[in-house]
Amino acid sequence: MTDYWLSKLFFDLQHDPQLAGAYRADMPSVLDRYQIKPDVRRALLDDDVAALSPLVNAYLLRFYFQIRGMPEADFIARLHAMKSGAAPAETARHG
Amino acid sequence: MAELVGIFAASHGPIIGRNWETMPRAHRDKLAAAFDEIGRRLKAAQPDVLVVVSPDHWVNFFINNLPAVCIGIGDEHDGPPEPFMQKVYPHPVLKGHAAFGMHLLQTALDNDFEPALSHRLRLDHGACIPLWRAGVPPDLPLVPILVNDLEAPMPSIRRCLAWGRLLRRAVESYPEPLRFAVLGTGGLSHSIGEATMGWIDEKFDHACIEHFQNGEEQALDDFLTRALPQTGNGAHEIRDWVVAHGAAGGTGFELIDYFPSPETLVGAGFASWKLPASNAGSLNQRSRQ
Repeated sequence: MTDYWLSKLFFDLQHDPQLAGAYRADMPSVLDRYQIKPDVRRALLDDDVAALSPLVNAYLLRFYFQIRGMPEADFIARLHAMKSGAAPAETARHG
Repeated sequence: MAELVGIFAASHGPIIGRNWETMPRAHRDKLAAAFDEIGRRLKAAQPDVLVVVSPDHWVNFFINNLPAVCIGIGDEHDGPPEPFMQKVYPHPVLKGHAAFGMHLLQTALDNDFEPALSHRLRLDHGACIPLWRAGVPPDLPLVPILVNDLEAPMPSIRRCLAWGRLLRRAVESYPEPLRFAVLGTGGLSHSIGEATMGWIDEKFDHACIEHFQNGEEQALDDFLTRALPQTGNGAHEIRDWVVAHGAAGGTGFELIDYFPSPETLVGAGFASWKLPASNAGSLNQRSRQ
């Protein structure tokens, strides 16, 4: 299920380097500007790839963790850890 | 009257741009050779205008306003916004072709297609990596067609074939005696930001190539409609190849090269189409049943 405000946050971070800088410096203050649900906010603060993955387009997710500074190998490892529980139809929804 | 003089397709993984200087030399040479061949054929066709069929990687559109298809009808478009692309392809402004863009848009509407329009698009790595690597002259006027390949629901394969036929009809009905080429970008299989990230589905890629070579549009439609939900999400970009295939009349596919490219996370595919005699036919009828 797509989470609009999470998607909007990721989209804005992709388009606004100043916002991305502010996010790196102080995540909670930027998150306060968006209608992020408490469990999603927790997943963001925990860099919880598995929790965020079903909520947002896969390309936006990848870009977000690049902004977060997570090495791509680490990002991929966390995605692969989801494999056993992933539903193929759902993961294929977002191109 | 205008004519279609070349149809091409090429992969565009962003790592090609990001890691071009640092990737293993042998692999880079293989990619370079394939892009060079696309460039050689494209330049030999001597197009006056290039129609680029590409996805938008969340650069122009978001989920609050996401067209299935958008035609760039401006005199100019913006070059790539990605910093890694600006380093390798430093063209902040790209030339458009407003008159043909408008003609394509009007032809679409006249034939019951309803695309979005843009007077100024930003062309991300999806369009610009093939333009860069194939050495397409940066002053060649472009008419972008951005297809939603990223977020479901996406245009059907059947509709992408019809878009290709429509594109051909628009070229052949354009009154100026200009030469047009088409470049579809993306694919083949890849998997991005999902549980299978990094997976290159060679079985899918070879089947896909075989279907393009066979030229049976119904079989291609059936295969892709069935197989796309079962492979990596990046393979949805094959829609841009399908538009190119439709523009070619569903025949003449010629593989330039294919190889899995784990270095760039894509099944790297490069192709061109031999052009048949002018025969767009009915836009809603398949060229071969």
